[in-house]
Amino acid sequence: MSPVDHTNHGDLMSSIADPGAAIVIEDLGKRYGAISALDGASLTTVRGQIYGLVGPNGSGKTTLIKAICGLLKPDRGRVEVLGLDAARDRHAVRKHLGYMPQTPSLYDDLSPLENLRFFGGAFRPPDIGERIRETLEFVQLWDRRDDPLHTFSGGMRQRASLACALMHDPELLVLDEPTAGVDPVLRQSFWRRFAELCDKGRTIFLSTNQMDEALRCDHVAVILGGRILVSETPEAIRRRGKTRVTLEIEGKSREVELDGYEEELPRLLEEYGLQKRVGRISLKRQSLEEVILSLLKEAK
Amino acid sequence: MIRHSLLIAARINRQFLRDRRYLGMSLMVPLILMLLLKYVIDSLPGLAHFGVRVSDYAILIAAYLVHFLAYVLSTIVLVRDRTAGTLSRMFVSGYRRREIVSGYVAGYSTVAAAQTALVLVCTRYLFDVKIERDIAAVVLTMLALAIVSVGLGLFLSNFARNEGQVFPFIPMVIIPSALLSGMIIPVGDLPTVLQWCSYIVPLTWAVKVLRGVVVDGSSFYSQLMPFLLLLGFGLTLLVLASFTLREKE
Repeated sequence: MSPVDHTNHGDLMSSIADPGAAIVIEDLGKRYGAISALDGASLTTVRGQIYGLVGPNGSGKTTLIKAICGLLKPDRGRVEVLGLDAARDRHAVRKHLGYMPQTPSLYDDLSPLENLRFFGGAFRPPDIGERIRETLEFVQLWDRRDDPLHTFSGGMRQRASLACALMHDPELLVLDEPTAGVDPVLRQSFWRRFAELCDKGRTIFLSTNQMDEALRCDHVAVILGGRILVSETPEAIRRRGKTRVTLEIEGKSREVELDGYEEELPRLLEEYGLQKRVGRISLKRQSLEEVILSLLKEAK
Repeated sequence: MIRHSLLIAARINRQFLRDRRYLGMSLMVPLILMLLLKYVIDSLPGLAHFGVRVSDYAILIAAYLVHFLAYVLSTIVLVRDRTAGTLSRMFVSGYRRREIVSGYVAGYSTVAAAQTALVLVCTRYLFDVKIERDIAAVVLTMLALAIVSVGLGLFLSNFARNEGQVFPFIPMVIIPSALLSGMIIPVGDLPTVLQWCSYIVPLTWAVKVLRGVVVDGSSFYSQLMPFLLLLGFGLTLLVLASFTLREKE
């Protein structure tokens, strides 16, 4: 490492000591010709959390992630990562950032070992051999470490790609649809790994088009047309959903839709005086997925 | 910086060793082309009547082949890295533009060096051109030409968004190189405008050095100027390539 790198490192460490945000994005805009990929997106993520970016295809997720990694020249707005400017200080930021692109983006003719040595070797992690072993065991590819990647299934390639992002044990992980095309069993194991990393104090920023995965994040942003529609905890988003109340009165059932059942249900039941004739009350709340989908629909 | 470039060069060479078919083909192609040339020329005894000595052209054609192959290969690989996302991943993994360009030059120069060795063996034994006396000058010129070829390939690949768009760039370099470099038609016989054009064709300078040293029997020292110009072309192209290598969309 050059002396300049050390200075940058020092700056970064002082900003990491500040318990503030991991990523701050303000009014980010980017057009590709006639298409507006990002249109004033703003968000803030807290360190040590899993932050999920949820949205349909073409909503601007990948463009936003590229901006965080310093791979985008935005038309307007500002991106700050770990207290540094994502574009100007990108070399300093990347020392603490692990990036998993949407497609595996590895060398297919090389083995996981060779890919990790190449992509993970640039930042010179201490004891690289041991680190490669640890990382490949973490994604359960140690047994296949010497086989060329073109012999791997899609899910195995995704795991190798995740391993590359983890190699230098970065403070911040930026994962672009890490579970796309991954089978349900493997997806569970990915999420277990994400939770483990979070417990170790790492920050994870990931995108997904699987609405149910939003539930597993600490914080969720819904993106559409390059704009953030909402950015809340999954529970808060769910609370935006309607609650369907089915009352069964003397054998006849009646359905009522409530906006927030905690407040509205007692009032609804007052109407009936909460008498003994109310035999049963069952609640069916909209799932997080349904809430997000209806949010997207309203925005369109 | 140097460590990162070496990591890239090592990765490229490992890929070559892994891809046996590709490695075999990139070594066989120059060999087959030299054999073809030999066969065609041997079947045209009439050439001698016009005062054409085939052996005068063999070393120039060898240089042309190395230039052509190294240029095409390096154009395609960088575009492939861009479309596959491995270029972005390299950037985020801590590799910088100048390290990537110098790493690619180092990696592909080793391949070009192997091709050079092969075509030189062909030149020596198939066409019976005595190159031993000037072997240092010939090898240095060929290596400088390989750097030019890789630099040119990396620089022009910036203008292609996908592998398909690379193809128009191939004849754009290869045909003017064949016509203007003095390899077939002496530069002095060209119209003035084309003579000026020939000065910006890097192969012109390699042809000048090789013809001077191998065919005319002059010393390498007397050909130092065109050699330095060739090297200058190479370094300029590398600097251009590392400044134009797009990191951000």
